Amino acid sequence: MPKVLIIDDSAVMRKIIQRNIQQSGLMVDEFVEAGDGREGLEKAVSNNIDLILCDWNMPNMTGIDFVRALRGSGQKNTIPIVMVTTEGGETKIEEAKSSGANGYLTKPFTPEQLKSKLGNFLLVK
Amino acid sequence: MALENMMETIALDITEATKTLFETMILMDLKYDEASLVDDTQIKTDVIGMVSFVGKYHGVIAVFLSQRLALKIASNMLMAELTQFTTEVKDAIGEVSNMIAGNVKTKLTARHGEIQLTIPIVIAGEGLSITAVNNSPIVNDASLSCFSKDPWLMTPFVSGNEKFNIGLLLKESNK
Repeated sequence: MPKVLIIDDSAVMRKIIQRNIQQSGLMVDEFVEAGDGREGLEKAVSNNIDLILCDWNMPNMTGIDFVRALRGSGQKNTIPIVMVTTEGGETKIEEAKSSGANGYLTKPFTPEQLKSKLGNFLLVK
Repeated sequence: MALENMMETIALDITEATKTLFETMILMDLKYDEASLVDDTQIKTDVIGMVSFVGKYHGVIAVFLSQRLALKIASNMLMAELTQFTTEVKDAIGEVSNMIAGNVKTKLTARHGEIQLTIPIVIAGEGLSITAVNNSPIVNDASLSCFSKDPWLMTPFVSGNEKFNIGLLLKESNK
């Protein structure tokens, strides 16, 4: 069963994302949380992660630096990454995708928008 | 574009971003009125959630609200009945400020070039007031520009029978 890593410096946002996924009917076995890109990187390589949701603006290591670091690490560098961030606009989306992100969702989002975005990577029960 | 006109446009962006946020993640009713300039001595609040931005323009977007409304908003976001003003409530208000400022920033960047946001800051107490301590011409640590002598362009909102305001301070950065 899939394991999802949520990287966001807001514990409230991590909780909201987790609750929305659980209520959406998407199949997830376990959630792993990280408060910034650095912690996310450690957890991404030391856990059997199937999907990563990552904020952009975080202390210590930003989301975009996390994406570049994971994709360049040679370890677990094919795990799908969906950016979930207040950063909008075509330039940011292009920057994320060219750095290796597979999806992009702008905050605020509805549960339906989150489900639709993650439905590309997770099965529905 | 004159700074005053630009501030009015941004105030409309703030209103639009706040409406979207309340419709998608807070799920509370929302009414609002036109923005007006407010002197800092008129501002009294319990909670301030603010995000600063720097770039060609710098300034602050800040949400001013009561502890009671902060609890209601956090409770709705988390779908849990929160009664104590905990770190979790502050975190939720930080995210509210962040999502509003983030959406405004996207529009500002499209119109005026790259602008960077700071991590949100939440200040909480009872009957907080904002007092000018200096009037530094350019604020590298833009958070401190919250304590500017300049008036805020303040948009009044009502939700859950509670009033709250979202303020904007804006200056052109030195070339």
